[in-house]
Amino acid sequence: MQAHTLSGTVFGLEGMRVEVEADIGQGLPGFHIVGLVDRAVQEARERVKIAINNSGQEFPGQKVTVNLAPAQVRKEGTGFDLAIAAAILSCTVHRPLPKGAAWLGELALDGSVRPIRGILAISAHLDRSGANIFYVPPANVAEARLATSRPVHAVPDLRRLVRYWVDGEPLPDTVLEAGDPSPALTAVDLADVRGHAHAKRALEIAAAGSHHLLFVGPPGSGKTLLARALPGIMPSLEERAALEVTTIASILGGLAPGSGLITEPPFRAPHHSISTAGLIGGGDNTPQPGELSRAHNGVLFLDEINELRRDALEALRQPIEDGRLVVARRHGHAVLPSRFILVAAANPCPCGRYGDQKKPCTCTPPQRQRYQARLSGPIRDRIDLQVSVLRQPAAELLHHADGAESSATVRERVMDARARQRKRRPDGPLNGALTGTQLRRDVHLDAAGQDLLTAAGDRLHLSGRALHRLLRVARTIADLEGAADVAAAHLAEAVQYRESG
Amino acid sequence: MSVLWRNDPGYPVLLAAIADPPARLFVRGVLPVGPTVAVVGSRQGTPYGQRAAHQLAEDLSNQGIIVVSGLARGIDRAAHEGALTGPTPTVAVLASGLDPIYPPEHVELADRIAVTGALLSEAEDGSLPLPARFPVRNRIISGLSLGVIIVEAAERSGALITARLALEQGREVFCVPGSIENPLTLGPHSLVKDGATLVRTVEDVLAELPEAVRAYARAHARAPAPARADSGPQEPELAAVWELLDWVEPRHHDELAEQLRLDVIEVSRRLTLLEMGNYIIGDRGAVTRSRRRLDK
Ligand SMILES: [Zn+2]
Repeated sequence: MQAHTLSGTVFGLEGMRVEVEADIGQGLPGFHIVGLVDRAVQEARERVKIAINNSGQEFPGQKVTVNLAPAQVRKEGTGFDLAIAAAILSCTVHRPLPKGAAWLGELALDGSVRPIRGILAISAHLDRSGANIFYVPPANVAEARLATSRPVHAVPDLRRLVRYWVDGEPLPDTVLEAGDPSPALTAVDLADVRGHAHAKRALEIAAAGSHHLLFVGPPGSGKTLLARALPGIMPSLEERAALEVTTIASILGGLAPGSGLITEPPFRAPHHSISTAGLIGGGDNTPQPGELSRAHNGVLFLDEINELRRDALEALRQPIEDGRLVVARRHGHAVLPSRFILVAAANPCPCGRYGDQKKPCTCTPPQRQRYQARLSGPIRDRIDLQVSVLRQPAAELLHHADGAESSATVRERVMDARARQRKRRPDGPLNGALTGTQLRRDVHLDAAGQDLLTAAGDRLHLSGRALHRLLRVARTIADLEGAADVAAAHLAEAVQYRESG
Repeated sequence: MSVLWRNDPGYPVLLAAIADPPARLFVRGVLPVGPTVAVVGSRQGTPYGQRAAHQLAEDLSNQGIIVVSGLARGIDRAAHEGALTGPTPTVAVLASGLDPIYPPEHVELADRIAVTGALLSEAEDGSLPLPARFPVRNRIISGLSLGVIIVEAAERSGALITARLALEQGREVFCVPGSIENPLTLGPHSLVKDGATLVRTVEDVLAELPEAVRAYARAHARAPAPARADSGPQEPELAAVWELLDWVEPRHHDELAEQLRLDVIEVSRRLTLLEMGNYIIGDRGAVTRSRRRLDK
């Protein structure tokens, strides 16, 4: 007797289709799973056998062979349990499996079906590759329904699966709660941040054009608070971006049962002691997304970025250049999305007092140079906005933040500026990722603007790359103002966010 | 590298005149001949102090005056760099031997100094810059010089020892004033109280030197000293911003916006125009007045 059905697993952030074949035949009694499987899959033999026996059925006393295909891809985890059990049970109860059905879920020893990670990515992939009905753990139903419009059935346990097949008793309806549309935002509202007008404006530009940003200031000057205000002025995620973010959360197992799409940009703030593996993700076979992917479509805040380990800093490079990470694994390359706005924060020097006339800095020049040089080259080249953040004088705390704009107001402007960029480049990058060639097409300076650009280049000794940064920022400033083209006034403001000379 | 003995004809006359001239000097490069002034100060010099040392050394170099300093971090480095900006060689007197260079990150600076000027030491190669060698070295710095300019020095610092040695050797002592909030100005301000010459410009230094040296400086002056940028822009909008700025202490965009009751965007735009006109120096969201109208 043979049965054949579908299951799936995750590779990188992509789902992968796995075919499950069961054969019950002559030979010495036994249970074998073949097809390049890891230990967790081997252990499925025990789980499936005991779960079937505890569900009022009898595990066949013949030679049972289960093959997982394609054979050349390594399969991991516990998500194949339900498919294996379904294939075996379909032989023992003599009911054919529905054609094109996909089975996903882990079995407990009592026969109940437990949720697995990455249902979203797997279902999305199986939906595209021919599955037409899904059987999943109850806790994963909502997630699977985000990925497919085909029928999704909840399988609470094997006992009810058999009753469904043999007696036609319908599987229980899972109550579909609309779900909290997004996790509660812990973002800071700009109206609650006193002072810091220049830095707030830089945040608005960063949100509008997706520019990377560096705050330099002494400890305790409010750099973290400012960074946390950024997600709140970014637009909600569009459907595709929301699906990507939710997929990543799903693979990490961070989605609450019944929760819907994540629609607000994520905010990640790993400590500067984070390892490279923590940034890019770990796991030798199935990559687990790291902070660089968890910040995808959102904000990555790195406080004291100069303290980051050199290899960790190096790991930042590819995402901020390409918006993705290509990770080499034992069984091939995984491409992980990681397009985020980097908000870096740094002290002016190791002691934090450099530039303060009243309290001389105690660092030696080589200490300062080494400290500054850590954030050099390719990463600095991609940071369009640099801002000094002052420690707020005590009097400022008493000064009421009258007229400070709320995040909602700023977000309106940001959304308008994004819409203008989309109109100009429906599929192209936002201003923060424009190349030199793209800039030439998107920025047309009048005579006054050209004069100012030339003067800035000469007077401030700006490199070609620095001029590109200037033009990208000026383009976003013009978009925020609703101006069709970049004028001298936009460039003039942009000059003030350049790196220190 | 060469060795210069006290009886050699190239031995500096001023140095030979002190009470305890070194019997032997190791020299890398060529010891330049001409009027010499020392510029020294703290290794922890503030940005202001370093700018001041750089500017004075550059101005001296532009008038043909050789600048001597100690190749240390902070003020010394700024002095050498400033002198190298002008046409006249500079001389570094080391407390260590000439090889290896101390501090190690000044190897490249030492190379540039030796192209036109010289590195000097009384100590043999491989000698470490031990604390005891500094006062011994400092007597050479002052001994080589007509006068010593002190820029930022803590009380009881090496630079103040150099000043005392200069007085004992009958040389001029000059001091650059600074903020009374800066602890590194206690040294130079005390010296001014005791009669040292306060330096506002390079002219204040030249005025205390012999007439022959002043004539030499006039003859060698490459460029007239640029005009002081002591007046602001004409445009009322820009002048309103410039008036709130300081030559020394940076002002931040946020402060300016608040004081002017202006949108920070407008402040940024005006600051860029001021920068383009060379009225101010910007540094990542903080600005100071420009001290010199450069190439306007
Ligand atoms: Zn410091």
